[in-house]
Amino acid sequence: MTNLAELLKTPGASLECEDDFDAVNELVRGRGWSDGLPVVPPTARRVEEMLAYCDRPWDEPVAKIAPRYGDATPLRLAANAVMAGCRPEYFPLLILVTEALCEEPFNLYGVQATTHLCAPLVIVNGPVAKELDINSGHNAFGPGWRANATIGRAIRLALVNIGGAIPALGDMSTFGAPSKYSYLAAENEAASPWEPLHVERGLPREASAVTVIGAECPHNVNDHESLTAEGILTTIAGTLIAVGANDIYYHQAQPLVVMGPEHAKTVADGGFSKADAKRFLHEHAQLPMRRFSNENIERRLRVTFKERLGAAGLDEPVPMVQRPESILIAVIGGAGKHSAVIHTFGATKPVTRALRLRDGRYAKSVADFRSQ
Amino acid sequence: MCELRKRGLATAVIVSDAFLRLGKTQARVFGVPDLPLLLIPHPLGGLSLEQVEGRAAHAIPQVLKLLKERAA
Repeated sequence: MTNLAELLKTPGASLECEDDFDAVNELVRGRGWSDGLPVVPPTARRVEEMLAYCDRPWDEPVAKIAPRYGDATPLRLAANAVMAGCRPEYFPLLILVTEALCEEPFNLYGVQATTHLCAPLVIVNGPVAKELDINSGHNAFGPGWRANATIGRAIRLALVNIGGAIPALGDMSTFGAPSKYSYLAAENEAASPWEPLHVERGLPREASAVTVIGAECPHNVNDHESLTAEGILTTIAGTLIAVGANDIYYHQAQPLVVMGPEHAKTVADGGFSKADAKRFLHEHAQLPMRRFSNENIERRLRVTFKERLGAAGLDEPVPMVQRPESILIAVIGGAGKHSAVIHTFGATKPVTRALRLRDGRYAKSVADFRSQ
Repeated sequence: MCELRKRGLATAVIVSDAFLRLGKTQARVFGVPDLPLLLIPHPLGGLSLEQVEGRAAHAIPQVLKLLKERAA
């Protein structure tokens, strides 16, 4: 694709350091180029191995990452992927996620710089999820899986090192969240009774895709007793209700409901399509206005939803999400009677983007990106 | 705001003190490192009307100073 030795001669493209793990990490920490954990030294050899899975010029930005609006070139992304511990075949996914995050509806500036504790959540669909062995089962959002851990971490490092999401400087989150280290899982398509997320969002099943969501951490939904679709959905709807959620106040908000395979089966066996489940959730995830604080009623609900709530009585129901179709549903996880509710930053929209080759065709495999 | 500044208009951004560093960084990113940042005390959320007026009272002298400097 490109000559790395030539590229590295560009001022600022590289720097020399003693060939020693501790020395490299000392330098990286000193420059603020880390998530706080030690990194794999991004040597020219390792970066070049990463770039072997790149089908575009290594110095041509694929996006600009807010809030610094730094150029996300494949070269820089590759250095971050190496630092995160990625295998080279993961690299096409890192480029794809970067592009998705920088699409306008996602509002990456807001997600990065807000005081809210959101982090970009990535859901991977399609054949590439299996090819890269991305965990979609037990502990899918947790540790123990190289692809989930390191691709997610590479995204974070790119957001910090290229985008400038530095605590109290470009990342103003009041608390942050553990999901800011890494937040990536695949959908458990094999265990889902419904069409996968990327198909629901308009892509063919054979496409591989990522969906990015400016999300909170998962909140568990325990239901070991309900035997019917309505029962399970009632419990999930009850967990969606949270008077402190950002999603309430934003017209475009799209929270995610992650159903464990066992809950999903019970719901589907009850004759519910995804659209039916969303209608039920929307209808039942509502709370009488009197359950909000007086100030939130007067200063926010009555103002934001002036037409509907401006003069409404205190028993008027307030929905947690504006429309049934705004709720996203994905099936993830292993055995167990659990689901999870994932609220969002609110001022963000999920973006789904397919893995395509430069000529526009859907990639069948990450091997399609190999340049040498 | 940065675009207006580049076009020569009297321009400023009002920031609460907790966000000063972010404001300075953004001004630099958008190519106007000398963009005036008018400081008011944090927070902005959860204020009574009287407190909002207090924030405005902080900002107004800074706005006037900026405009006078521009006129001079």
